[in-house]
Amino acid sequence: MSPSFLLVLVPLLPLAAAIVTVLAGRRLGSRAHLPAVAGIAAAAAVAFVLLVVTARSSGGGEHPRPVDMVTTLWQWATVSEAYEPAADSAAAVPGTAVGTDAHAARPFSIAVALRLDPLTATMLMIITGVGLLVAIYSIGYMHDDPGYPRFFALVAMFVFSMSMLVAASNFLLVYVFWEAVGACSYLLIGFWFQKPEAARAAKKAFLVNRVGDFGLAIGVFLLWLTYGTLDFHDTLSPDGTILPGILGQTRLADVSGYVGGAVGTAICLLLLLAACGKSAQLPLHVWLPDAMEGPTPASALIHAATMVTAGIYLIARSAPLYMACPGALVTVSIVGTTTALVAALIGMVQNDLKRVLAYSTISQLGYMFASLGTGTLLGFTAAIFHLLTHAFFKALLFLGAGSVMHSIGGVIDMRRFGGLRKLMPITAATFLIGSLALAGVAPFAGFFSKDEILASLHQKGWPSAHGEHGEHHALVPRLPETAAVGPTLHDVGYRGVADHGEHATAHAAESVGLDALDSPAVWQTLFWMALVTAGLTAFYTFRAVFMTFTGPLRVPEEAGHHAHESPRVMTLPLIILAVPATLAGLVLFTTEGLSSFLAATPSFTAPAVAATAAPAVFHWDLALQGTLAAALGIVIAAVGHLGRRSDGPQLERWLGPVRPFLENRMFIDQLYTAVVIKPVEAVAYLAAMFDRSIIDRLVLGVARLPVSVGNLVRRLQSGLVQRYALAGVVGVLAIIVLLAWRL
Amino acid sequence: MIPAPLLAAAPLPLLQNGLMVGAILFSLGLVGILTRRNLIVMFLSAELMLQGISVSLVAWSRYHGDFGGQVLVIFVLSVAACEAAVALVFVLQAFTRTGRLDSAAWQSLRESTLGRSVDHEIPAIDAPLPVFPRLTPAGVSPAADADAGLQREHV
Repeated sequence: MSPSFLLVLVPLLPLAAAIVTVLAGRRLGSRAHLPAVAGIAAAAAVAFVLLVVTARSSGGGEHPRPVDMVTTLWQWATVSEAYEPAADSAAAVPGTAVGTDAHAARPFSIAVALRLDPLTATMLMIITGVGLLVAIYSIGYMHDDPGYPRFFALVAMFVFSMSMLVAASNFLLVYVFWEAVGACSYLLIGFWFQKPEAARAAKKAFLVNRVGDFGLAIGVFLLWLTYGTLDFHDTLSPDGTILPGILGQTRLADVSGYVGGAVGTAICLLLLLAACGKSAQLPLHVWLPDAMEGPTPASALIHAATMVTAGIYLIARSAPLYMACPGALVTVSIVGTTTALVAALIGMVQNDLKRVLAYSTISQLGYMFASLGTGTLLGFTAAIFHLLTHAFFKALLFLGAGSVMHSIGGVIDMRRFGGLRKLMPITAATFLIGSLALAGVAPFAGFFSKDEILASLHQKGWPSAHGEHGEHHALVPRLPETAAVGPTLHDVGYRGVADHGEHATAHAAESVGLDALDSPAVWQTLFWMALVTAGLTAFYTFRAVFMTFTGPLRVPEEAGHHAHESPRVMTLPLIILAVPATLAGLVLFTTEGLSSFLAATPSFTAPAVAATAAPAVFHWDLALQGTLAAALGIVIAAVGHLGRRSDGPQLERWLGPVRPFLENRMFIDQLYTAVVIKPVEAVAYLAAMFDRSIIDRLVLGVARLPVSVGNLVRRLQSGLVQRYALAGVVGVLAIIVLLAWRL
Repeated sequence: MIPAPLLAAAPLPLLQNGLMVGAILFSLGLVGILTRRNLIVMFLSAELMLQGISVSLVAWSRYHGDFGGQVLVIFVLSVAACEAAVALVFVLQAFTRTGRLDSAAWQSLRESTLGRSVDHEIPAIDAPLPVFPRLTPAGVSPAADADAGLQREHV
């Protein structure tokens, strides 16, 4: 039972469950959930064991040892002698002494390899844990659906794909499973495919994700060109030299191991594009609100807790690459914060409960991006911390919304129902807990993670305010010479660091225009935007809570006799999720468990990142600011909606002309239609015209040619004997002439 | 034993004249069979072609001093006679079915989409005859013919 074997089990069990469900689902009938639930439950147990194993081997404490266990399953593709590194490039093979041939051609080899480290273990736990609860919930929610086996097969397939994505130790494998989760998302959004809106929404999600995938593909190509390998881990070449992986120990320890400048920024921005597509950030966020057409458990799993966090995972994993490009980092933060604000504004005026939660997801993901972009260890761990807590409380909120929908007959427009707290007390209580966590009210989970994000933004905006830690948070990450862990490339004669001092500064000195954005003024603006967004978050969340659960009891007529609390199989996951939504933040923050655990991730032990480590301080002033913003939001929402009928005049009418602008989602969809879709349709129309008029005419002309020739030749059959005789005479004359000419 | 004077080859101008006559006869026959519509005349033209060939054969035979050509002519003549018998029976049958000796009466074996190539409408066959002057009878009128009913007024 080595960790390698367990690591392989985590994706393997849901895959086996998916295959069994596909093959035997129809026969299992109403028990079709059994393979999927069993598979995901087993995977969750294994993920928990892996979490414990990883925690033990990291050792914890002040300087955790990096945990890096790689399991290679098989060699997928190999092209020998595919790459010849330039002499001083980042891809040059270490261990070659000066003077020998460093231009040895290297193979392009992709191995199906999985890597276990704290980040992976955390993500696996989230994926399988939330996946299990969602699967149990779906037993009740999807009970009467004719596609019952298909749903569970897709959920198991998704858990497999996402687990492989976070465990893969190769950028190409990440790309493969990136696409796989996109495909599972498409299938789940379009689960009720006979409904035209659902089919359209699935198509939209897939196409918008495709734009991001394009960025990822080009990014992978550039990574290969720059680093000569796509593996995360170090591999051994046949002649015994180490091929440094992009995120392997050798390259992480090297101070100039990562390329900055134009190429590095291009790679980072392309990975950001991919993350924007998958995590629904501006400008590729348009698919997530429409994705609510899918079943609510799918929304809870994919569009709240796991798939949309793939972008966060990618950027967190690529942290060392980003640390070499400060311009890319600040772009990540700008994109994230802007998205958070825009999504919060749009979410304020939505009347559809699931759409409010969708925009809330976009907004919270924006927070995570903002935190990732600060480029500090605190920022990275805060993003993962928020990812963790967000997975719990957002899944809780979505499942609660599903519970509401299930009980009142599928109605989700909040103006049509109200006062449901007496009708479904468990749902109401858990939904309230989730909302408190989302709004960032102490001591619920969201409070601590949001506080850390605000802290990371604050210390970039006001570096001097953080006292003796200020010099660690320099605007351009200082590359210390002594922060290496383990043998450095220099020790093995790596040519790239032969003149490591000048080389390092040369790398750091090539800056791109974007780097100019990395100024305290920008960070301060981002901080204020994040704070305002926190207030808006509290507002729209509690607006939804008050509209749904308070006021006079109103049940729409679609409910029929369904209008009661959901069955236990649905409320049990809600109760289970409410526990971490309440306690996870408090526990993980006060014990510093998560931050010290994650600090052992190889990506975060890079000197650039590790240099920014600082002891966790609870910033009382920031906590106060955050709580004030949240309280203000809740109070305004209460003034507008507490105890009132949900279809009464809304407070938001005070927004005036801004309101239709927000209700139409800031016309972004219309903009895309005008700028992207209509030109493509015009080109398609032209192509169709060309096809019909020219190509089809050509083909028909070829078909009509024998007919025309036949029409001409047919006139020879006139019925007159003399004309036939004439034809014979003409033939004889022709032969005579021919013979006479020959002779 | 063939007597020597008979075997003597004829001079070239004799051949040329003979061939020319034969060619003229053949071409006239060919043109006739292609252009005339009357079945009897078409047959006549075919016979004319055969005669042209015969003349050519005799001319060649005289030129080479070889009797083989003239023997072939005898064959040709006998074949022509058989052919005449068959052809005239055919013409008679054709006349019985349509009442006319016009080859254009037999156009129906053409492509179904085409119209008649000649005589787009069939000329009426019962055009009134010109009135012949009645002359005063001279001499004794013959007795009525037994098979007068089998004869037609016109062809």
